[in-house]
This record gives sequence, C-alpha cells and structure tokens, in this order.
Amino acid sequence: MKSAWKVIKEQIDHFYLVRRLSVYELKSKNKNNYLGTAWELINPLIQIMIYWFVFGLLLSRDDVTMGGEPVPFIAWLIGGFFLWTFCFQSIILGSKSIYTRLRMLSKMNFPMSVIPSYTIFSQLYVHFATIVVAVILYQIMGFYINIYYLQLIYFLFSAICLLFAISLITSTISTIVRDFHLLLNSVLRMLIYVSGVLWPLSKLEAFPRLLNIMQLNPLYYLIEGYRAAFFGTEWYFITHWELTIYYWIIVLLLLIIGASMHVRFRRHFIDFL
Amino acid sequence: MEKAIVVNNVSKKYKLYNGNKERLLDLITPKSYGEDFYALTNVNFEADKGDIVGFIGINGSGKSTLSNIIAGIIPETTGSVMLRGEVSLIAVSSGLKEALTGRENIELKLLMLGFNKNEIKKLEPEIIEFAELGTFIDQPIKSYSSGMKSRLGFAISVNIDPDILIIDEALSVGDKAFAEKSLEKMREFKKRGKTMIFVSHSLGQMKEFCEKILWLEYGTVKDYGTTEEVIPKYEQFLKEWKKMNNNERKKYRDDKIAENMKQLQK
Repeated sequence: MKSAWKVIKEQIDHFYLVRRLSVYELKSKNKNNYLGTAWELINPLIQIMIYWFVFGLLLSRDDVTMGGEPVPFIAWLIGGFFLWTFCFQSIILGSKSIYTRLRMLSKMNFPMSVIPSYTIFSQLYVHFATIVVAVILYQIMGFYINIYYLQLIYFLFSAICLLFAISLITSTISTIVRDFHLLLNSVLRMLIYVSGVLWPLSKLEAFPRLLNIMQLNPLYYLIEGYRAAFFGTEWYFITHWELTIYYWIIVLLLLIIGASMHVRFRRHFIDFL
Repeated sequence: MEKAIVVNNVSKKYKLYNGNKERLLDLITPKSYGEDFYALTNVNFEADKGDIVGFIGINGSGKSTLSNIIAGIIPETTGSVMLRGEVSLIAVSSGLKEALTGRENIELKLLMLGFNKNEIKKLEPEIIEFAELGTFIDQPIKSYSSGMKSRLGFAISVNIDPDILIIDEALSVGDKAFAEKSLEKMREFKKRGKTMIFVSHSLGQMKEFCEKILWLEYGTVKDYGTTEEVIPKYEQFLKEWKKMNNNERKKYRDDKIAENMKQLQK
C-alpha cells in the first residue's frame, strides 16, 4: 500500500516529464519510416480491415444488437477494436519499457516508475487519433455524437489506471526474466478472442456460467463501456455498477502488487541486464 | 575541509552462473546458486570538495565499477556512498538515442536530468557550440563517428554544470584539439572548486591533472595518496607486471583475490 502511494505520487510530481518524454518516444520510434508517426494509425486501420474482411464479409456476421437496435458488424467492431489496440500496444511496450531503456537511462534524476507510464502515454496520443477516426466513421454510418460520449473520459481514465498497474508488474518481471515478455505476447494475442472484441459475448447466453467468468476480464468492461458510449445506449458504469466496483478492486490490487514489486526491485534492475 | 565524496566499506558482488538453469534456480529458490565474484571488496575512500582524484589500476581492478557506483548507476552490495552535490558521469558510451538527431538527444538528455523548458533553451546553444558538430547536429546520431558521439556526450555532461564530475576514459577518444579544449574546461572547473574523478590509463594526463591518486587492485584499495607519492609506485609495479609471464600473473591475481576473501570473512 505504501509503495502504491509512493508510485502514484511520483507520477504526479513528474507529470510534466511524462508528457515530454512520451513525445520523444513516439518520434524516435517512427523516425526511420517515411510516413513517420502516421504508421501508428495506418497499422490498426489495416488490421481492422482484415478482421472486417474475414469476420464481416467471408463469415458474414449478423448485426449486433446494441440497446435494442441492430448495429452493423463493422460499426460494432470499430467501437471496441481501437481501445483493444491501445491496451495491447501499451501492455507490450510497457512490459519491455524498462529493460530496453535502462542502459541509456542509466543516469537520470527521476524515478523509474515514470518509464512505463510514459510509454503508455505515447500510445495515448495514437489512441486519441484513432478515436477521432472512429467518430468520423460513425458520423458517416449514422451513429451521431450523443451525450453518452461523456463516459469515454471515464473509461479512458480507467483504462490508463489499469494499464499502468499492469505494466508495473510486467515491466518488473520482464526485466528479471526476459522470457516473460514473450509469454505475454502470446497470451495477449489469444486474449483478443475472449475479451469481446471480435464477437459479442452475448453469443454465449446458452452457457451463463462461462459468460459470467468471461465478463470478469477487466478489458471487457472497458470495451463494452466504449461501445455504450459510441452507440449511446446507456451509462454503462452506472447500470453495471457491480462490474464497476469489481473493476476498481482489480485495478487497486494490481497496483498494490505492481508497486511493491517495482519498488522492491528497481534499484537492482541494472544488475539483471 | 568539506567532504564531497565518502565511500564507506563498499563491496560489489556479482554472481557468475554456469548457464541459465543456475540463474533461474538462484532467482526462485532460497538456496544460493552460482559463484560469487567480488568486483570491489571493502573499498574506503574520501575526497574533499575541490579535489581532483585519479583512479588507476590494471584492467579488471574495479575502476569503472567504483566510478559507476559513485555515479549512482549501479547499486553497491554492501557499504554506503555519501555525496554532496550532483554527480555527472562521462563515459565513452554515454547513452544517446541512435534514431534521434543530436539536437533532440540534447533536449532528451537534459529533460531526463530534470531541467525545465527555459533552462534547456538556454543550455542548448552552449552545448552545440562546445560539441563542434556543425551541420551534423540535426542529423541522427547513428550517422556520427565515434569521436563525434563522445564529443556530444562530453559537451552535454560538462555544460550541465555538475558539482562532481566523473570522467571514465572519455578524453581518449576525441582528437588532440578537442582533448585540449576539454582539458581547458576541466581546468576551469578546477578553478571553480569542483570535485572531479578521472579514470584513465594515461599516466601522463594523470600526472598533469590529478592531485590525488587512488590505486585499485582486484577490487581493493592498494594505495591512496598524492600524485607524487603514488604514481612512482604504480610505475614501479607496472614494470614488474610487464616482466611477469602469464602463469606468474595468474598466481599473483589468485593470491590477491584469496587475500581479499579472507579479509571479507573477518
């Protein structure tokens, strides 16, 4: 608990640094490409086209019912997919953030807990761009901006908290045992199929127990929240208040575990290189 | 006299493993696996404010380990290091990002050292001028020669105005003119009463510049005193060392390390 508090305070104290460093991060990552940072946007767009082609056209998915109204599959997919990309990238990059930078960062006047958070932040800019793209697409498709969009702010904040807590844990383990990063990669690739990104979990209505278990995935909560906002169906975090409470307990637990691991090992990270 | 650096009983232990299996077992089981290797054993040393100390010793004596510990880059296993003021370490491979340009690297580095926007704006032109990179300043670092890289690293570290400066073999890379300019900067620092540590194999530079010499041998302090005292002894030792054949050297080394271990167990 004490370390969690300490790590949070470090984030607040060095927020300016997080913002500046995240810009450099994004720049240096795409320096060698002619299209530069645009790739951060092109990548998820291509991916979404593939999924749409396979699931939407070839396997011709039915419309998904959102709040009583049928929604075309592609529209439904976009709502969750961009958030998924943000989470996926943040977890992957967050996990390797410390051991890839440690050597160059060796001498610095800021706490190491800033490193995973600025990698997440650099992804956040990309995520903002994808949200803009999504909103434009929705206007074309006829799902107009509505008051429920306001909950996007809440869900984005919730996502950042979760991702930060997770990356504190994963970056510590990955630095000590490098294999963990590879394992995480595989697990995440699998997770897209069970987080309600590519198919609605309501298809599992025949198996209520399985459905309940899958709803415990915190990513599912975020993705459904995004969709509720885009399609203007409900105030998701109020109507599903049990999931909200559950979500924040999970975040808090992960943060406490992650912070204590991070604080315990950070002085010795350099010895593991 | 005010103490700038106090190194108290510092030891640094590394573990040498035979393969990944031992490494993993050591990590997850309480039992200890792998062989202990002491890079430093019970090192004590103090420097007053304004001292210029040279670290000498043959390869593997722990000079770089000690300077890294003082700079706070690697943690000590036991003992403590007390410092008064900001430390800046200049090493040949000072962390620069290959993909970014020289200018961006300067900004990034200063940002990480805790400077704010205005300070960075003020320092940037000074650093660029000192580094003498010309138009290359807006090119990515990966197109730099090794001399250019070390010049940039040196320029950044010097211009941030640290209280304690550690220079690890960094002066041996640039050409004569730049080395002269760097030494000039060092002299200026000396006048202003900054504490400096030199790590170098060049006894000539040491003699010219350092006031005190710390002679390290296999992780322990062999001698610490004024330059006039220690350098002749070290030169004498080097002569003998050169005469020894490989077996004698190995024996000398093993004896010293065994001695250290005995000391440590006491």
